[in-house]
Amino acid sequence: MKTKRQNINLRELFRNKLEDAEIIPDAAVKSILMRRVGRKEFMRFNPSRLNVYYIGGIVITGITATVMLFSGSHNSYQLNPLNTPGNLNKTDTSRYIEVPVVEPVRKKPGSSTVFHSESKKSIEVSTLPEKSESEASKVVVSHQDSTPLPTGINNSYSKNGLFAESTPDKKKLQSGFNQETFLIDPYDTVGCAPLKVRFHFKPTSCDSCRWTFGDGGYSNKKDPEWIFDVEGEYRVVLEVYCPDRKSLSSSATVTVHPRPQAHFEIASEKSVNPNDEIRFLNYSTNALHFKWDFGDGSTSEEFEPSHVYAKYSNCNIRLAVLSDLGCSDSAIVYNALSGLQYFISFPNAFIPNTQGPSGGYYSSKSDEAALVFHPSYSGVSEYQLKIFSKLGIQIFESNDINLGWDGYNNGQLCEPGVYIWKVRGKFRNGEPFIKVGDVTLLKN
Amino acid sequence: MMSDRQIIELCAKHDRKAQQVLYDKYSRLLFGVCLRYATDKAEAEDILQDSFLKIFHNIKDFTGSGSFIGWLRKVAVNTAITHYHKNLKYRYHVDIEEYVSVETGITSFEEDYFTSDELYKVLNELPTGYRMVFNLYAVEGYKHKEIAEMLGIDTNTSKSQYSRAKAVIRYKLEKLGKLKSSYSENG
Repeated sequence: MKTKRQNINLRELFRNKLEDAEIIPDAAVKSILMRRVGRKEFMRFNPSRLNVYYIGGIVITGITATVMLFSGSHNSYQLNPLNTPGNLNKTDTSRYIEVPVVEPVRKKPGSSTVFHSESKKSIEVSTLPEKSESEASKVVVSHQDSTPLPTGINNSYSKNGLFAESTPDKKKLQSGFNQETFLIDPYDTVGCAPLKVRFHFKPTSCDSCRWTFGDGGYSNKKDPEWIFDVEGEYRVVLEVYCPDRKSLSSSATVTVHPRPQAHFEIASEKSVNPNDEIRFLNYSTNALHFKWDFGDGSTSEEFEPSHVYAKYSNCNIRLAVLSDLGCSDSAIVYNALSGLQYFISFPNAFIPNTQGPSGGYYSSKSDEAALVFHPSYSGVSEYQLKIFSKLGIQIFESNDINLGWDGYNNGQLCEPGVYIWKVRGKFRNGEPFIKVGDVTLLKN
Repeated sequence: MMSDRQIIELCAKHDRKAQQVLYDKYSRLLFGVCLRYATDKAEAEDILQDSFLKIFHNIKDFTGSGSFIGWLRKVAVNTAITHYHKNLKYRYHVDIEEYVSVETGITSFEEDYFTSDELYKVLNELPTGYRMVFNLYAVEGYKHKEIAEMLGIDTNTSKSQYSRAKAVIRYKLEKLGKLKSSYSENG
């Protein structure tokens, strides 16, 4: 028999039995835990104990030291731009040209060995179609006051196509360093302004470099991109600083041709007579060759052509110009002849003047309140407007486009409601038109 | 033998030796707690390890007010709840409706009739949700409202899960009881 004291409920059974129950976990649990604690401790910053920060520091120091020790022995970097006449017919021409370059021939002190090595250097040159675009992509520090190089720069080339680099800057830089002669092939980069040139610098142990672009700009990037805005000849100099305290430099010439500007006007914009000649006024600068596209399929290469359009429609007139140096530009006028279009259209409601008939004469200025029913139009030569009531009775007729309907019939104001209009006539180019529609006479 | 206070101070300085002492001293008690919340021993060991990592990391925040054991126990329970949430989506939810329909006439049990091992076994076999609620309410003594907050469930869910857990446990204990008595009769 169970007594009341012996019987306890479920809750108490579990609480009494298990609340303070002690179970011995496996010994492995402890060792795993301690390993995890150790790992955590290792990752935690603690100045008094070996941890990841110390190890990291040691590793970084080691790598730095190794790099400094070994990097000095190899100097194989290259620079050289090359010859790329800007291609004008494509909008965005960019190409890579690989040029073999003779690596600096230099003498090491205490050794008479002459090092020769050959490697390649590539440059990407791209001509940009739009100036605004090129400015947007300008990434490096830019100096607007560009200073074109003295024109005698080419004289420093020797006859065999090599020249010795000796700028004052470089001399300063090399003082205290090994004297070295650094020869490069004087490849030129040629293009039209604004000219974007991408320079490449083969990565070497020499980890810092400085590009001087000759227009007052410079960059410390390895592979900078530079945009030459102003025409001229620029000497681009690359100086490389090596960890072994040797420094090298190399240069190349970038020639930027002026870009022509295409600009024109349509002289006879108001001309609306059919078979009228449309004349074009050419204001282009720096250009030698011209190509007109009149938008109706015909072209011309005259300086200031005139053209007869068979039909005035929305057409885009384009002028492309080419300079003697091969630089191009173009200008386009969209919907050039939209001012010459013929049309006629009517409103679908008007409110007649209740004071009395106005006679129907209107001008676009005096009829802002829409008191007279009349069309808006352009280039109409013949015109006849008729108004009918709903019963089909003609109540108004006008053969003068300047005479509209004032809403009166025989001196009486017509009833508000819908009336039918019919217009027929010809445009000035001879094209006839017939239009029918309805107009609602509103009550004031 | 170090006192709790010394252990706490040294553990706050990440002293490895003190951490081991702390583990040796309290791991059995906390393992008992963890085992109640786990499906099996392996999970209980996971919870225990995570609990101790939390304890070692946060021991500097233990203010000293209140019992240290109570704090340790609370960390272990919270870790178990975290585990429950983490594993929620992986668990296979057992349909327990068959248990619930069973009539249960007996409302009390003799305390010494079941060993704690048997009770652990019964708990471990419970559906996880039931086990959490039952442990927190019956053993730890939380209120249904608190449990609902901790587990992110409704208060009524907590209540109904508790009563269902009780029914299941009763059913299992009765079965166990019959089994045992038949053994003793035969033996």
